[in-house]
Amino acid sequence: MTPLVIKNLTKKYGRLVAAERVSFEIHPGEVFGLLGPNGAGKTTIISNIVTLQSFSEGSIKVFGIDVQKNPRLAKAHIGFVPQELIHHGFFTVEEILKYHATYFGIPLDKEHLKYLLDKLHLYHHRKKLVNQLSGGMKRRLLIIKALLHKPKLLLLDEPTAGVDVELRASLWKFIQELKKENLSILLTTHYLEEAELLCDRIGILDHGRLRKVDTTEKMLQEYSSKKVSVTLCSPLGKIDHPLLTAQSDHLLDFQVPNEMPLSQLFQEASIPMNCIQDINIKMGTLEDVMQTILRGEE
Amino acid sequence: MNRWLQVQGLYKREVARFLKVPLQTVGAPIVNSILYLLIFGVSLGHSIRLENNIPYLAFLIPGLIAMSLIKNAFDNSTSAIMGQKYVNELQDLRVTPFSLQQLCAAKTLSSLTRGLFVGLITYCVGQTFYYFQMGHFLPIANPLVLIYFLIFGGLAFGNLGIAIGMWSKSFEHVGAVSMLILLPLIYLGGVFFSLEGMHSFWQSTSHFNPLFFIINGIRYGMLGSTDIHLGIAGVVTFAFFLVCYILALFSLRNGPRYMR
Repeated sequence: MTPLVIKNLTKKYGRLVAAERVSFEIHPGEVFGLLGPNGAGKTTIISNIVTLQSFSEGSIKVFGIDVQKNPRLAKAHIGFVPQELIHHGFFTVEEILKYHATYFGIPLDKEHLKYLLDKLHLYHHRKKLVNQLSGGMKRRLLIIKALLHKPKLLLLDEPTAGVDVELRASLWKFIQELKKENLSILLTTHYLEEAELLCDRIGILDHGRLRKVDTTEKMLQEYSSKKVSVTLCSPLGKIDHPLLTAQSDHLLDFQVPNEMPLSQLFQEASIPMNCIQDINIKMGTLEDVMQTILRGEE
Repeated sequence: MNRWLQVQGLYKREVARFLKVPLQTVGAPIVNSILYLLIFGVSLGHSIRLENNIPYLAFLIPGLIAMSLIKNAFDNSTSAIMGQKYVNELQDLRVTPFSLQQLCAAKTLSSLTRGLFVGLITYCVGQTFYYFQMGHFLPIANPLVLIYFLIFGGLAFGNLGIAIGMWSKSFEHVGAVSMLILLPLIYLGGVFFSLEGMHSFWQSTSHFNPLFFIINGIRYGMLGSTDIHLGIAGVVTFAFFLVCYILALFSLRNGPRYMR
Protein backbone atom coordinates (compact mmCIF):
# COMPACT_ATOMS: atom_id res chain seq x y z
CA MET A 1 0.00 0.00 0.00
CA THR A 2 1.34 3.44 -0.91
CA PRO A 3 2.09 5.40 2.28
CA LEU A 4 0.86 8.75 0.97
CA VAL A 5 -1.10 9.68 -2.13
CA ILE A 6 -2.14 13.30 -2.66
CA LYS A 7 -4.36 14.03 -5.65
CA ASN A 8 -5.32 17.49 -6.86
CA LEU A 9 -5.15 19.00 -3.39
CA THR A 10 -6.49 22.55 -3.37
CA LYS A 11 -6.55 24.72 -0.27
CA LYS A 12 -7.77 28.30 -0.26
CA TYR A 13 -7.71 30.95 2.47
CA GLY A 14 -10.35 33.33 1.18
CA ARG A 15 -8.93 34.49 -2.14
CA LEU A 16 -5.42 33.26 -1.44
CA VAL A 17 -4.70 29.88 -2.98
CA ALA A 18 -2.22 28.16 -0.65
CA ALA A 19 -2.18 24.89 -2.58
CA GLU A 20 -3.43 24.43 -6.13
CA ARG A 21 -4.08 21.00 -7.59
CA VAL A 22 -1.06 19.50 -5.87
CA SER A 23 -0.49 15.81 -6.66
CA PHE A 24 2.31 13.52 -5.59
CA GLU A 25 2.87 10.28 -3.74
CA ILE A 26 5.44 8.83 -1.42
CA HIS A 27 6.67 5.28 -1.91
CA PRO A 28 7.47 2.84 0.90
CA GLY A 29 10.85 3.54 2.51
CA GLU A 30 11.32 6.75 0.56
CA VAL A 31 12.35 10.19 1.78
CA PHE A 32 10.42 12.78 -0.21
CA GLY A 33 11.51 16.39 0.09
CA LEU A 34 9.04 19.22 -0.34
CA LEU A 35 11.04 22.34 -1.14
CA GLY A 36 10.12 25.90 -1.92
CA PRO A 37 10.43 29.48 -0.75
CA ASN A 38 8.58 30.82 2.29
CA GLY A 39 4.83 30.80 1.70
CA ALA A 40 5.09 28.23 -1.10
CA GLY A 41 2.56 25.97 0.63
CA LYS A 42 4.75 23.31 2.27
CA THR A 43 3.28 23.61 5.77
CA THR A 44 -0.22 23.95 4.34
CA ILE A 45 0.14 20.57 2.65
CA ILE A 46 1.47 18.92 5.82
CA SER A 47 -1.29 20.54 7.90
CA ASN A 48 -3.87 19.07 5.55
CA ILE A 49 -2.34 15.60 5.82
CA VAL A 50 -2.56 15.63 9.63
CA THR A 51 -6.02 17.28 9.46
CA LEU A 52 -4.94 20.46 11.23
CA GLN A 53 -6.70 22.12 8.32
CA SER A 54 -9.39 20.94 5.99
CA PHE A 55 -9.19 21.30 2.23
CA SER A 56 -11.89 22.04 -0.30
CA GLU A 57 -10.80 19.94 -3.27
CA GLY A 58 -8.77 16.83 -3.94
CA SER A 59 -7.93 13.87 -1.76
CA ILE A 60 -5.23 12.71 0.62
CA LYS A 61 -4.84 9.04 1.37
CA VAL A 62 -2.51 7.58 3.99
CA PHE A 63 -2.03 3.86 3.36
CA GLY A 64 -5.26 3.96 1.39
CA ILE A 65 -7.21 5.71 4.18
CA ASP A 66 -8.89 8.96 3.22
CA VAL A 67 -7.84 11.54 5.82
CA GLN A 68 -11.07 13.48 5.49
CA LYS A 69 -13.36 10.48 5.72
CA ASN A 70 -11.48 8.62 8.42
CA PRO A 71 -9.07 11.04 10.10
CA ARG A 72 -8.61 8.99 13.28
CA LEU A 73 -7.49 5.86 11.48
CA ALA A 74 -5.25 7.82 9.10
CA LYS A 75 -3.60 9.73 11.96
CA ALA A 76 -2.80 6.48 13.77
CA HIS A 77 -0.30 5.74 10.96
CA ILE A 78 1.34 9.18 11.00
CA GLY A 79 4.15 10.59 13.10
CA PHE A 80 4.30 14.37 12.91
CA VAL A 81 7.15 16.69 13.87
CA PRO A 82 5.86 20.27 13.74
CA GLN A 83 7.88 23.40 13.06
CA GLU A 84 6.99 25.05 16.34
CA LEU A 85 8.44 23.88 19.62
CA ILE A 86 6.03 22.65 22.29
CA HIS A 87 6.91 23.59 25.86
CA HIS A 88 4.87 21.32 28.19
CA GLY A 89 5.53 23.54 31.21
CA PHE A 90 4.30 21.18 33.91
CA PHE A 91 5.86 17.87 32.93
CA THR A 92 9.18 16.09 32.71
CA VAL A 93 10.41 14.53 29.47
CA GLU A 94 9.54 11.04 30.71
CA GLU A 95 6.06 12.02 31.87
CA ILE A 96 5.16 13.74 28.63
CA LEU A 97 6.31 10.76 26.57
CA LYS A 98 4.36 8.29 28.68
CA TYR A 99 1.17 10.31 28.33
CA HIS A 100 1.76 10.90 24.63
CA ALA A 101 2.06 7.17 23.90
CA THR A 102 -1.43 6.55 25.25
CA TYR A 103 -2.93 9.12 22.88
CA PHE A 104 -2.51 6.57 20.11
CA GLY A 105 -4.40 3.93 22.06
CA ILE A 106 -1.47 1.58 22.45
CA PRO A 107 0.36 0.56 25.63
CA LEU A 108 3.74 2.21 26.10
CA ASP A 109 6.61 0.10 24.74
CA LYS A 110 9.26 0.86 27.37
CA GLU A 111 12.07 -0.72 25.36
CA HIS A 112 11.20 1.39 22.34
CA LEU A 113 11.02 4.52 24.51
CA LYS A 114 14.45 3.80 25.98
CA TYR A 115 15.83 3.15 22.48
CA LEU A 116 14.54 6.48 21.21
CA LEU A 117 15.72 8.41 24.28
CA ASP A 118 19.16 6.85 23.89
CA LYS A 119 19.30 7.40 20.17
CA LEU A 120 18.42 11.08 20.44
CA HIS A 121 20.60 11.63 23.50
CA LEU A 122 17.78 12.52 25.88
CA TYR A 123 17.97 9.51 28.19
CA HIS A 124 19.99 11.38 30.81
CA HIS A 125 17.61 14.33 30.61
CA ARG A 126 14.43 12.29 30.98
CA LYS A 127 13.76 13.49 34.53
CA LYS A 128 14.10 17.16 33.58
CA LEU A 129 11.12 19.44 33.07
CA VAL A 130 10.58 20.09 29.37
CA ASN A 131 10.93 23.81 30.12
CA GLN A 132 14.49 23.23 31.29
CA LEU A 133 15.58 21.73 27.95
CA SER A 134 17.46 23.68 25.31
CA GLY A 135 15.85 24.39 21.95
CA GLY A 136 17.75 21.52 20.34
CA MET A 137 16.63 19.09 23.02
CA LYS A 138 13.02 20.18 22.66
CA ARG A 139 13.28 19.53 18.93
CA ARG A 140 14.64 16.04 19.59
CA LEU A 141 11.79 15.47 22.03
CA LEU A 142 9.34 16.31 19.24
CA ILE A 143 10.95 13.62 17.08
CA ILE A 144 10.71 11.03 19.86
CA LYS A 145 7.04 11.89 20.37
CA ALA A 146 6.41 11.43 16.68
CA LEU A 147 8.04 8.00 16.68
CA LEU A 148 6.67 6.61 19.96
CA HIS A 149 3.72 4.83 18.36
CA LYS A 150 5.94 3.35 15.60
CA PRO A 151 4.28 5.15 12.68
CA LYS A 152 4.81 4.04 9.10
CA LEU A 153 4.75 7.56 7.71
CA LEU A 154 6.78 10.38 9.27
CA LEU A 155 6.12 14.03 8.46
CA LEU A 156 9.03 16.32 9.29
CA ASP A 157 8.17 20.00 8.96
CA GLU A 158 11.54 21.80 9.01
CA PRO A 159 12.93 19.52 11.72
CA THR A 160 16.35 21.17 11.80
CA ALA A 161 15.25 24.80 11.73
CA GLY A 162 17.27 26.80 14.24
CA VAL A 163 19.48 23.96 15.48
CA ASP A 164 23.28 24.06 15.55
CA VAL A 165 25.48 22.38 12.94
CA GLU A 166 26.43 19.43 15.15
CA LEU A 167 22.87 18.58 16.10
CA ARG A 168 21.75 19.00 12.52
CA ALA A 169 24.34 16.46 11.39
CA SER A 170 23.26 14.00 14.08
CA LEU A 171 19.60 14.41 13.08
CA TRP A 172 20.50 13.77 9.44
CA LYS A 173 22.24 10.57 10.50
CA PHE A 174 19.19 9.54 12.50
CA ILE A 175 16.84 10.21 9.58
CA GLN A 176 19.05 8.06 7.35
CA GLU A 177 18.77 5.26 9.91
CA LEU A 178 14.97 5.61 9.95
CA LYS A 179 14.98 5.31 6.19
CA LYS A 180 16.87 2.04 6.44
CA GLU A 181 14.05 0.78 8.70
CA ASN A 182 11.69 1.28 5.75
CA LEU A 183 9.92 4.30 7.23
CA SER A 184 8.45 6.63 4.61
CA ILE A 185 9.29 10.26 5.27
CA LEU A 186 7.97 13.57 4.00
CA LEU A 187 10.49 16.31 4.73
CA THR A 188 10.16 20.05 4.30
CA THR A 189 13.27 22.14 4.74
CA HIS A 190 15.00 25.33 3.76
CA TYR A 191 18.42 23.67 4.06
CA LEU A 192 18.99 22.46 0.53
CA GLU A 193 22.10 20.46 1.43
CA GLU A 194 19.84 18.60 3.88
CA ALA A 195 17.40 17.75 1.11
CA GLU A 196 20.21 16.76 -1.22
CA LEU A 197 21.69 14.42 1.36
CA LEU A 198 18.47 12.82 2.61
CA CYS A 199 15.85 12.89 -0.12
CA ASP A 200 15.33 10.22 -2.76
CA ARG A 201 12.84 12.40 -4.60
CA ILE A 202 12.04 16.06 -4.48
CA GLY A 203 9.02 18.19 -5.23
CA ILE A 204 9.47 21.90 -5.80
CA LEU A 205 6.60 24.09 -4.72
CA ASP A 206 6.01 27.71 -5.58
CA HIS A 207 2.94 29.81 -4.87
CA GLY A 208 0.98 26.69 -3.98
CA ARG A 209 1.79 24.87 -7.19
CA LEU A 210 4.02 21.84 -7.52
CA ARG A 211 6.41 22.86 -10.29
CA LYS A 212 8.47 19.72 -10.59
CA VAL A 213 8.75 16.26 -9.02
CA ASP A 214 11.66 13.95 -9.74
CA THR A 215 14.52 12.06 -8.15
CA THR A 216 17.18 14.23 -6.56
CA GLU A 217 19.75 12.79 -8.93
CA LYS A 218 17.75 13.60 -12.05
CA MET A 219 16.94 17.09 -10.80
CA LEU A 220 20.64 17.81 -10.29
CA GLN A 221 21.50 16.32 -13.64
CA GLU A 222 18.82 18.20 -15.51
CA TYR A 223 18.62 21.56 -13.77
CA SER A 224 22.11 22.27 -12.50
CA SER A 225 25.52 22.69 -14.07
CA LYS A 226 29.05 22.42 -12.75
CA LYS A 227 31.36 25.39 -12.42
CA VAL A 228 34.78 24.64 -13.92
CA SER A 229 37.68 26.98 -13.10
CA VAL A 230 40.82 26.39 -15.18
CA THR A 231 44.15 27.88 -14.05
CA LEU A 232 46.54 28.36 -16.97
CA CYS A 233 50.35 28.14 -16.98
CA SER A 234 50.55 31.02 -19.40
CA PRO A 235 47.95 33.40 -20.83
CA LEU A 236 46.04 32.34 -23.92
CA GLY A 237 44.47 34.73 -26.37
CA LYS A 238 40.80 35.69 -26.13
CA ILE A 239 38.68 32.56 -25.95
CA ASP A 240 35.27 32.60 -27.54
CA HIS A 241 33.05 29.85 -26.12
CA PRO A 242 29.36 30.02 -25.14
CA LEU A 243 29.98 28.33 -21.76
CA LEU A 244 32.76 30.74 -20.74
CA THR A 245 31.60 33.03 -17.92
CA ALA A 246 34.84 34.85 -17.02
CA GLN A 247 38.39 35.18 -18.35
CA SER A 248 41.56 36.72 -16.98
CA ASP A 249 45.21 36.14 -17.91
CA HIS A 250 45.59 32.91 -15.96
CA LEU A 251 42.04 31.95 -15.12
CA LEU A 252 39.04 30.74 -17.13
CA ASP A 253 35.59 30.09 -15.61
CA PHE A 254 33.03 27.89 -17.39
CA GLN A 255 29.47 26.91 -16.47
CA VAL A 256 29.27 23.41 -17.92
CA PRO A 257 26.34 20.95 -18.17
CA ASN A 258 26.85 18.08 -15.72
CA GLU A 259 26.94 15.45 -18.44
CA MET A 260 29.55 17.22 -20.62
CA PRO A 261 33.06 15.71 -20.38
CA LEU A 262 35.86 18.20 -19.69
CA SER A 263 37.93 16.84 -22.59
CA GLN A 264 35.13 17.95 -24.94
CA LEU A 265 35.04 21.39 -23.33
CA PHE A 266 38.80 21.89 -23.66
CA GLN A 267 38.71 20.70 -27.26
CA GLU A 268 35.83 23.01 -28.16
CA ALA A 269 37.45 25.97 -26.40
CA SER A 270 40.86 25.16 -27.95
CA ILE A 271 42.66 24.93 -24.63
CA PRO A 272 45.81 22.81 -24.95
CA MET A 273 46.18 20.31 -22.13
CA ASN A 274 49.81 21.32 -21.56
CA CYS A 275 48.64 24.88 -20.76
CA ILE A 276 46.49 23.73 -17.86
CA GLN A 277 48.06 24.12 -14.45
CA ASP A 278 45.02 23.29 -12.30
CA ILE A 279 41.32 22.51 -12.62
CA ASN A 280 38.75 23.23 -9.95
CA ILE A 281 35.26 21.73 -10.34
CA LYS A 282 32.30 22.80 -8.25
CA MET A 283 29.30 20.52 -8.78
CA GLY A 284 25.81 21.97 -9.14
CA THR A 285 23.57 21.97 -6.09
CA LEU A 286 19.86 21.92 -5.36
CA GLU A 287 20.09 25.66 -4.94
CA ASP A 288 20.89 25.89 -8.66
CA VAL A 289 18.04 23.51 -9.38
CA MET A 290 15.60 25.61 -7.36
CA GLN A 291 16.76 28.83 -8.95
CA THR A 292 16.57 27.37 -12.44
CA ILE A 293 13.08 25.96 -11.95
CA LEU A 294 11.66 28.98 -10.13
CA ARG A 295 13.27 31.42 -12.56
CA GLY A 296 12.02 29.38 -15.47
CA GLU A 297 8.46 29.61 -14.15
CA GLU A 298 8.71 33.39 -13.73
CA MET B 1 -6.32 1.29 18.85
CA ASN B 2 -7.72 1.12 22.38
CA ARG B 3 -10.13 4.04 22.76
CA TRP B 4 -10.39 3.66 26.52
CA LEU B 5 -6.61 3.82 26.88
CA GLN B 6 -6.62 7.11 24.96
CA VAL B 7 -9.24 8.70 27.25
CA GLN B 8 -7.54 7.28 30.34
CA GLY B 9 -4.14 8.66 29.27
CA LEU B 10 -5.43 12.17 28.60
CA TYR B 11 -7.53 12.12 31.79
CA LYS B 12 -4.49 11.15 33.89
CA ARG B 13 -2.42 13.84 32.26
CA GLU B 14 -5.06 16.53 32.88
CA VAL B 15 -5.40 15.49 36.53
CA ALA B 16 -1.61 15.47 36.91
CA ARG B 17 -1.58 18.98 35.43
CA PHE B 18 -3.75 20.49 38.12
CA LEU B 19 -2.02 18.52 40.86
CA LYS B 20 1.31 20.02 39.73
CA VAL B 21 0.12 23.46 40.85
CA PRO B 22 -1.69 22.60 44.10
CA LEU B 23 -1.51 26.08 45.61
CA GLN B 24 -3.30 27.60 42.66
CA THR B 25 -5.79 24.85 41.93
CA VAL B 26 -6.55 23.48 45.40
CA GLY B 27 -4.99 25.76 48.02
CA ALA B 28 -6.66 29.00 46.93
CA PRO B 29 -10.19 27.53 46.80
CA ILE B 30 -9.74 26.06 50.28
CA VAL B 31 -8.72 29.43 51.71
CA ASN B 32 -11.79 30.93 49.98
CA SER B 33 -14.08 28.36 51.55
CA ILE B 34 -12.61 28.92 55.01
CA LEU B 35 -13.08 32.68 54.68
CA TYR B 36 -16.70 32.30 53.52
CA LEU B 37 -17.44 29.92 56.41
CA LEU B 38 -15.78 32.23 58.92
CA ILE B 39 -17.41 35.44 57.72
CA PHE B 40 -20.86 34.28 56.63
CA GLY B 41 -21.28 31.02 58.50
CA VAL B 42 -19.82 31.82 61.90
CA SER B 43 -19.78 35.61 62.28
CA LEU B 44 -22.94 36.67 60.43
CA GLY B 45 -24.72 33.33 60.56
CA HIS B 46 -26.03 33.86 64.11
CA SER B 47 -28.13 36.81 63.02
CA ILE B 48 -29.69 35.05 60.02
CA ARG B 49 -32.89 33.12 60.68
CA LEU B 50 -34.18 30.74 58.02
CA GLU B 51 -37.86 29.86 57.80
CA ASN B 52 -37.47 26.11 58.27
CA ASN B 53 -35.22 26.50 61.31
CA ILE B 54 -32.13 25.17 59.58
CA PRO B 55 -28.94 26.68 61.04
CA TYR B 56 -27.46 29.12 58.56
CA LEU B 57 -24.13 27.28 58.64
CA ALA B 58 -25.91 24.08 57.50
CA PHE B 59 -27.58 26.06 54.72
CA LEU B 60 -24.26 27.61 53.67
CA ILE B 61 -22.13 24.43 53.49
CA PRO B 62 -23.90 22.81 50.49
CA GLY B 63 -23.93 26.21 48.75
CA LEU B 64 -20.18 26.51 49.15
CA ILE B 65 -19.67 22.93 47.97
CA ALA B 66 -21.71 23.73 44.86
CA MET B 67 -19.76 26.92 44.27
CA SER B 68 -16.41 25.11 44.65
CA LEU B 69 -17.52 22.37 42.29
CA ILE B 70 -18.84 24.69 39.58
CA LYS B 71 -16.02 27.22 39.74
CA ASN B 72 -13.23 24.63 39.77
CA ALA B 73 -14.72 22.42 37.05
CA PHE B 74 -15.09 25.50 34.84
CA ASP B 75 -11.65 26.94 35.66
CA ASN B 76 -9.95 23.60 35.07
CA SER B 77 -11.27 23.27 31.54
CA THR B 78 -10.67 26.88 30.55
CA SER B 79 -7.15 27.05 31.98
CA ALA B 80 -6.21 23.70 30.38
CA ILE B 81 -7.42 24.74 26.93
CA MET B 82 -5.99 28.27 27.11
CA GLY B 83 -2.65 27.05 28.43
CA GLN B 84 -2.45 24.40 25.73
CA LYS B 85 -3.20 27.00 23.08
CA TYR B 86 -0.36 29.20 24.27
CA VAL B 87 2.37 26.53 24.35
CA ASN B 88 1.23 24.70 21.20
CA GLU B 89 0.11 21.66 23.18
CA LEU B 90 -3.30 21.80 21.56
CA GLN B 91 -1.65 20.94 18.26
CA ASP B 92 -0.28 17.81 19.91
CA LEU B 93 -3.80 16.63 20.53
CA ARG B 94 -5.06 17.70 17.14
CA VAL B 95 -2.65 15.42 15.31
CA THR B 96 -3.38 12.38 17.47
CA PRO B 97 -6.26 10.00 16.70
CA PHE B 98 -8.71 11.35 19.28
CA SER B 99 -12.37 11.77 18.47
CA LEU B 100 -14.08 14.93 19.73
CA GLN B 101 -16.16 12.83 22.12
CA GLN B 102 -13.03 11.26 23.59
CA LEU B 103 -11.41 14.66 24.07
CA CYS B 104 -14.52 16.03 25.71
CA ALA B 105 -14.80 12.99 27.97
CA ALA B 106 -11.18 13.10 29.16
CA LYS B 107 -11.08 16.84 29.71
CA THR B 108 -14.50 17.05 31.35
CA LEU B 109 -13.86 14.12 33.65
CA SER B 110 -10.62 15.72 34.82
CA SER B 111 -12.51 18.96 35.46
CA LEU B 112 -15.15 17.04 37.39
CA THR B 113 -12.36 15.40 39.39
CA ARG B 114 -10.93 18.76 40.36
CA GLY B 115 -14.39 20.12 41.16
CA LEU B 116 -15.22 17.12 43.35
CA PHE B 117 -11.79 17.23 44.97
CA VAL B 118 -12.16 20.88 46.01
CA GLY B 119 -15.84 20.26 46.86
CA LEU B 120 -14.81 17.42 49.17
CA ILE B 121 -12.26 19.61 50.92
CA THR B 122 -14.91 22.32 51.30
CA TYR B 123 -17.22 19.69 52.77
CA CYS B 124 -14.54 18.59 55.27
CA VAL B 125 -13.75 22.18 56.28
CA GLY B 126 -17.47 22.91 56.56
CA GLN B 127 -18.05 19.84 58.73
CA THR B 128 -15.21 20.94 61.03
CA PHE B 129 -16.82 24.37 61.47
CA TYR B 130 -20.23 22.77 61.95
CA TYR B 131 -18.93 20.35 64.57
CA PHE B 132 -17.36 23.12 66.63
CA GLN B 133 -20.51 25.24 66.43
CA MET B 134 -23.20 22.58 66.82
CA GLY B 135 -21.38 19.77 68.66
CA HIS B 136 -22.11 17.18 65.96
CA PHE B 137 -21.51 16.63 62.25
CA LEU B 138 -24.01 17.65 59.58
CA PRO B 139 -25.62 14.43 58.27
CA ILE B 140 -26.14 13.87 54.52
CA ALA B 141 -29.89 13.46 53.95
CA ASN B 142 -29.93 12.00 50.41
CA PRO B 143 -26.52 10.75 49.23
CA LEU B 144 -27.76 9.58 45.81
CA VAL B 145 -29.42 12.90 45.05
CA LEU B 146 -26.26 14.67 46.17
CA ILE B 147 -24.09 12.52 43.89
CA TYR B 148 -26.44 13.09 40.92
CA PHE B 149 -26.26 16.87 41.19
CA LEU B 150 -22.54 16.92 41.94
CA ILE B 151 -21.73 14.79 38.90
CA PHE B 152 -23.99 16.45 36.34
CA GLY B 153 -23.28 19.94 37.71
CA GLY B 154 -19.52 19.33 37.50
CA LEU B 155 -19.72 17.75 34.05
CA ALA B 156 -21.86 20.61 32.75
CA PHE B 157 -19.36 23.25 33.86
CA GLY B 158 -16.40 21.18 32.70
CA ASN B 159 -17.95 21.16 29.23
CA LEU B 160 -18.86 24.84 29.39
CA GLY B 161 -15.22 25.57 30.29
CA ILE B 162 -14.05 23.73 27.16
CA ALA B 163 -16.36 25.81 24.97
CA ILE B 164 -15.32 29.12 26.58
CA GLY B 165 -11.64 28.10 26.43
CA MET B 166 -11.87 27.21 22.75
CA TRP B 167 -13.65 30.42 21.78
CA SER B 168 -11.61 32.78 23.96
CA LYS B 169 -8.70 34.49 22.29
CA SER B 170 -6.96 35.51 25.51
CA PHE B 171 -6.98 34.88 29.25
CA GLU B 172 -8.75 38.22 29.57
CA HIS B 173 -11.77 36.81 27.72
CA VAL B 174 -11.86 33.81 30.04
CA GLY B 175 -11.52 36.06 33.08
CA ALA B 176 -14.35 38.24 31.83
CA VAL B 177 -16.70 35.27 31.45
CA SER B 178 -15.69 33.93 34.85
CA MET B 179 -16.03 37.22 36.74
CA LEU B 180 -18.82 38.97 34.84
CA ILE B 181 -21.12 36.06 34.03
CA LEU B 182 -20.32 32.96 36.04
CA LEU B 183 -19.71 34.57 39.43
CA PRO B 184 -22.94 36.65 39.42
CA LEU B 185 -24.89 33.55 38.35
CA ILE B 186 -23.34 31.57 41.21
CA TYR B 187 -24.14 34.26 43.77
CA LEU B 188 -27.66 34.78 42.44
CA GLY B 189 -28.17 31.02 42.30
CA GLY B 190 -28.62 30.89 46.05
CA VAL B 191 -25.24 29.97 47.49
CA PHE B 192 -25.63 32.36 50.41
CA PHE B 193 -29.37 32.89 50.70
CA SER B 194 -32.74 31.24 50.37
CA LEU B 195 -35.15 32.20 47.60
CA GLU B 196 -37.98 32.51 50.12
CA GLY B 197 -36.77 35.78 51.50
CA MET B 198 -36.31 37.42 48.13
CA HIS B 199 -38.46 39.82 46.13
CA SER B 200 -40.79 38.00 43.71
CA PHE B 201 -38.92 39.51 40.72
CA TRP B 202 -35.66 37.87 41.79
CA GLN B 203 -37.51 34.68 42.63
CA SER B 204 -38.83 34.38 39.05
CA THR B 205 -35.52 35.53 37.54
CA SER B 206 -33.68 32.80 39.42
CA HIS B 207 -35.67 30.18 37.54
CA PHE B 208 -33.77 31.14 34.38
CA ASN B 209 -30.47 30.50 36.12
CA PRO B 210 -29.42 26.85 35.73
CA LEU B 211 -27.03 27.22 38.65
CA PHE B 212 -29.99 27.86 40.90
CA PHE B 213 -31.23 24.32 40.19
CA ILE B 214 -27.80 22.71 40.62
CA ILE B 215 -27.11 24.54 43.90
CA ASN B 216 -30.54 23.71 45.28
CA GLY B 217 -30.24 20.11 44.14
CA ILE B 218 -26.99 19.77 46.05
CA ARG B 219 -28.60 21.47 49.03
CA TYR B 220 -31.49 19.01 48.91
CA GLY B 221 -28.98 16.12 48.77
CA MET B 222 -27.36 17.35 51.97
CA LEU B 223 -30.23 18.83 53.96
CA GLY B 224 -33.32 17.08 52.59
CA SER B 225 -35.13 20.35 51.94
CA THR B 226 -34.97 22.89 49.14
CA ASP B 227 -36.64 25.91 47.54
CA ILE B 228 -37.66 24.05 44.40
CA HIS B 229 -39.20 20.88 43.05
CA LEU B 230 -36.48 18.22 43.02
CA GLY B 231 -37.66 16.55 39.79
CA ILE B 232 -37.56 19.84 37.90
CA ALA B 233 -34.10 20.57 39.29
CA GLY B 234 -32.91 17.13 38.14
CA VAL B 235 -34.29 17.58 34.62
CA VAL B 236 -32.96 21.15 34.27
CA THR B 237 -29.50 20.08 35.49
CA PHE B 238 -29.35 17.18 33.03
CA ALA B 239 -30.64 19.35 30.18
CA PHE B 240 -28.05 22.00 31.04
CA PHE B 241 -25.33 19.33 30.99
CA LEU B 242 -26.48 18.21 27.51
CA VAL B 243 -26.48 21.76 26.19
CA CYS B 244 -22.97 22.37 27.56
CA TYR B 245 -21.75 19.06 26.09
CA ILE B 246 -23.06 20.01 22.64
CA LEU B 247 -21.46 23.45 22.99
CA ALA B 248 -18.13 21.84 23.90
CA LEU B 249 -18.25 19.49 20.90
CA PHE B 250 -19.27 22.35 18.64
CA SER B 251 -16.43 24.56 19.91
CA LEU B 252 -13.87 21.81 19.39
CA ARG B 253 -15.07 21.29 15.84
CA ASN B 254 -15.71 24.88 14.81
CA GLY B 255 -13.83 27.07 17.29
CA PRO B 256 -10.96 29.31 16.20
CA ARG B 257 -8.47 26.47 16.68
CA TYR B 258 -10.85 23.79 15.50
CA MET B 259 -10.14 20.10 15.69
CA ARG B 260 -11.31 17.36 13.40
